[in-house]
Amino acid sequence: MSELEDIKLKALLNELQLDSPDPSFTLQVMDRIHKEKELREVVKKDKLFGKGFWLILVLFVILMTSYFVLSTISVAGSEPADGVMQDLGNTVSGGIQGFLSGFAAIPLSVAGIMLAGSLLLFIDRLVTSNTGIFRSL
Amino acid sequence: MLSSKGQMEKHEDSYYIQKVLDGETQYFSYLVEQYQDVVFSIALKVLKNRDDAEEMAQESFIKVYQTLGSYKGTAKFSTWLYRITYNHCISEIRKRKHHYVSTDDVEIGDNSPEMNLDGIPDERRSQVIKQAMDQLGEEDYALILLYYFEEQSVEEISRVTMLTESNTKVKLFRARKKLYQILSQNLKEELYEIL
Repeated sequence: MSELEDIKLKALLNELQLDSPDPSFTLQVMDRIHKEKELREVVKKDKLFGKGFWLILVLFVILMTSYFVLSTISVAGSEPADGVMQDLGNTVSGGIQGFLSGFAAIPLSVAGIMLAGSLLLFIDRLVTSNTGIFRSL
Repeated sequence: MLSSKGQMEKHEDSYYIQKVLDGETQYFSYLVEQYQDVVFSIALKVLKNRDDAEEMAQESFIKVYQTLGSYKGTAKFSTWLYRITYNHCISEIRKRKHHYVSTDDVEIGDNSPEMNLDGIPDERRSQVIKQAMDQLGEEDYALILLYYFEEQSVEEISRVTMLTESNTKVKLFRARKKLYQILSQNLKEELYEIL
């Protein structure tokens, strides 16, 4: 292709008028962008886990930590520093052990149902929340 | 944004991008206004349906808005936008397994007929060019549009089309040749009709 042909082609294409979208195109795009922005702000505000979840989690962690600490003391402490503390430790650890052994006695099927129920509730919470994770699906 | 004289001030793309990134979303409309025709034309060429093309063009702008924070400014904004649009269109066409009439079967001879625009009324010229462009396949159309109409460099076009620079050069050459031949043929027919 010669340079002359190229110049001719360029000159011709300068006359080309491109197709234009609907006159309200910009408005439509901006409308969608504003909606998108609003949604993002809602997502920021709407946390996946509420205060209740974090309270229970903190309590659970405290409970497990205290159980671990107390059980360590009761096992290793041949000479307890304080008899009252030892009694308290024994009571708490006994209680927790009782709860755990009771929990272990639950039939496997019941445990399975409880686990599956919890999992489904969690998934439901995740899907219905406005996290945007499932928006593209 | 109006100046004291009531005329719209024109800024570089980077100015509007920074404004949008600073939270002033309304400035994005300037970018949409500026590039909507090219984006829409590419989408229309690929999808061959105005409604689908508008939807696709909108999607491209939304995608650009969503990822604006990742735009580093190393390439021109238009190159980045066209790349997103082009990729969007190509994935859509692959999804639809759309078959288009390609001009790959247009034989590229060494001796192209002379293109003669004399005698073609000015108001018809634009239509003749458009008809010729419509006869190109979508890749050739995009290459020609970006090279001649948007005056993008081969390097920029290769970024948009994800081709190597040498491949872009070859494809661009072939696309230009095809267009030149189609135009020459169409113009000849046009002249016969006039005469």
